[in-house]
Amino acid sequence: MYIWRQEMMQVFKDEGVLIFFIIVPLVYPLLYSWIYNNETVHEVPVVVVDDSHTSLSRQFIRMCDASPDVHVAYYAQDLDEAKSLVSRQLVRGVYLIPSDFETKVNRMEQATISVYCDMSLMLTYKAIFQTAQLVSMQMGSAIQTKLGQHYTKREEVIAARPLACDEVPIFNPSGGYGSFVLPGVLILILQQTLVLGIGMSAGTARERNRYRQLIPISRPYQNVFRIVLGKSLCYFMIYALMGAWLVILVPRLFHFPQLATWQPLLWLMLPYTLACIFFGMVVSCIVRYRENVMLLMVFVSVPLLFMTGVSWPLSNISGFWQGVSWVFPSTFGVKAYVRLNSMGACVGDVSTEIMVLWLHTFLYFWLACVVYGYQIYITRYEAFWRYREMKARKDAINK
Amino acid sequence: MVMVFFTSLMEDGLPTEMPVGVVDLDNTSTSRSLTHRLDAFQMSRVVAHYPSVTEARRAIQKNEIYAFFYIPKGTTSDLLAGRQPKVSFYYSYTTLASGALLMKDLKTITTLGSAAVGQATMRAKGFTDEQIQTFLQPIRIDLHQIANPWTSYNSYLSTMLVPGMIMLFIFLISAYSLGTELKFGSSKEWLELADNRIVVALIGKFLPQTLIWLAIVYGYEFYVFYVLQFPHLGSPWMLVLLGFMQVLAAQGFGIFIFGLMPSLRMSMSVCSLWAVLSFSMVGSAFPVMGMDGPLQSLSWLFPLRHYYMVYQIAVFNGFPLLEAWFHFAGLAAFTLLPWLVIRKIKNAMLTYVYIP
Repeated sequence: MYIWRQEMMQVFKDEGVLIFFIIVPLVYPLLYSWIYNNETVHEVPVVVVDDSHTSLSRQFIRMCDASPDVHVAYYAQDLDEAKSLVSRQLVRGVYLIPSDFETKVNRMEQATISVYCDMSLMLTYKAIFQTAQLVSMQMGSAIQTKLGQHYTKREEVIAARPLACDEVPIFNPSGGYGSFVLPGVLILILQQTLVLGIGMSAGTARERNRYRQLIPISRPYQNVFRIVLGKSLCYFMIYALMGAWLVILVPRLFHFPQLATWQPLLWLMLPYTLACIFFGMVVSCIVRYRENVMLLMVFVSVPLLFMTGVSWPLSNISGFWQGVSWVFPSTFGVKAYVRLNSMGACVGDVSTEIMVLWLHTFLYFWLACVVYGYQIYITRYEAFWRYREMKARKDAINK
Repeated sequence: MVMVFFTSLMEDGLPTEMPVGVVDLDNTSTSRSLTHRLDAFQMSRVVAHYPSVTEARRAIQKNEIYAFFYIPKGTTSDLLAGRQPKVSFYYSYTTLASGALLMKDLKTITTLGSAAVGQATMRAKGFTDEQIQTFLQPIRIDLHQIANPWTSYNSYLSTMLVPGMIMLFIFLISAYSLGTELKFGSSKEWLELADNRIVVALIGKFLPQTLIWLAIVYGYEFYVFYVLQFPHLGSPWMLVLLGFMQVLAAQGFGIFIFGLMPSLRMSMSVCSLWAVLSFSMVGSAFPVMGMDGPLQSLSWLFPLRHYYMVYQIAVFNGFPLLEAWFHFAGLAAFTLLPWLVIRKIKNAMLTYVYIP
């Protein structure tokens, strides 16, 4: 209990630790949610080069403009003018309608519309290309039905599309960017701030100490288990609150899809938080200066997000990197959380991940005990030698 | 290290052979040939057949497959009878990349499937192949993907993430190297070496670092653009200039933050938080123009954003530098930022005592 109180005091006195424990977990999710809150891009500006100037080409332009994703911002005389608009970043793509567009359609030949996309942004490229494709298909089937010598309306429809297809995006129906990247980021923030905060507070403890050691020599600091449990209790109390804020309140505030109830989330977050705490304690013992903890953890955070498979399909990541990522609790935490929260899986579906997290907890707990035990051993060893030295000096003076 | 990680992660550029499932309730040669065709596509690999939709959905929730293809009973007979049967494709959008790519594949398949039926009917009526093609697709879209014809993801993410990481390190190391002078109490000696002239002291401290960073940045650019042959239309000199500006701007920012908060811990925290945020604000994955107005102006405060815009305009698309003058000026402004706080740094170096 004494260690717990000491640690609590230290957390609240040290502004650096306070930043990572309280402010970052509170503010970062809000900021990220704000950034991604618009989810998709609408009304991407494009420029049209209409060499045809016919009613059909104008219909194409109107239909593109009316679509939700594309906005016809400029009309250009030729491709060079359009290109200069692209280079000034005023538009993201060019639709070029050749002069023989309507003639070809009327002559029953295949007409072409050229689409030039600025490829520097994936989402705008998708919007521009898909809109053009959609509009051309719509116009195409209108032309088809006119040509097709059919008897009934129904027959026309069937001739245009003998096999209908339904595409059903599940679990993220709007296809939004925020709802897909954010759950992963939230869970990762939890781990990173926890490890950073623990590392910082350990660094502070080291620097405060007269002999640059992690563990002071005093009565309560004799038993390894007491130290580890006392400290982790302190972190756990703070992070129980933070975890609830991150996984329950933030998604609700910004209306991200949330299918899980609190019970399965509790089942997941309990081992995850514990695993992160013990992991952080192990890291804090191994790294000597607290600034180095920062370098290390900030450095790994972006690769870690990738390793969770959120933005890159896991089946395409090489086995070596997957193996490396198994060391971190976040890899499993994010996977399980995404499936619970966005896909509505039940606890049974993610039992493997939860088991691994418990395994992590267990493993890192023992590892934390071992490294803390080693620290105590060093402390005592050095204290013993200092004592011997002092005694020798005293004897020399006495003589 | 980071470089190798990302470039090897996305070696293929596009994900391939993603696992999908099939729920085939029809079980005829037509439905099986649709399945085979799906399997033959580059992106998708059929790993399992499920007896019902519920089980396929559970497989997605267990992360075994990314999508499944549902062929209801009676599809073939409806197709032959001309009753327009419907097949469905369910795909999970929780991983955006795989969802979008798989959807593209499936759309192609169903279009091909229905085209095959239409083709057979029209051949029977005695049309020529050219007429059939025109009839099936009266307007063709001719797509030109400027500067990245392979739609490779690698060239998007690696060109943003790796420079971002390098900049993050420059931020941190700049603040760190100033802060350690304070921490280990050697700041006065350091200033004395430069006869108490802070400008000389700063330049002396950061010039060797600049050289090292430049070597790293140029090494990265050489590796990415010449060994891996990433698409770039701009001239090599543009890359050299951009790399130079990138290093200077990042160092300027690091020193500036330290000047604002002359404490090792605080300045490093702020630097790292700022740098991590800039990965989102740079707008390479989710474009800045899709964000709210205040955020758009906020993005000017991130050096990485300016770097990325200059890169995009002048290197990736090969337009003249004049088009990116605003962002280039932004980078220059970051380089000059330390002037504002230089007195404060000197003051801090001479008087502050390190408090842990």
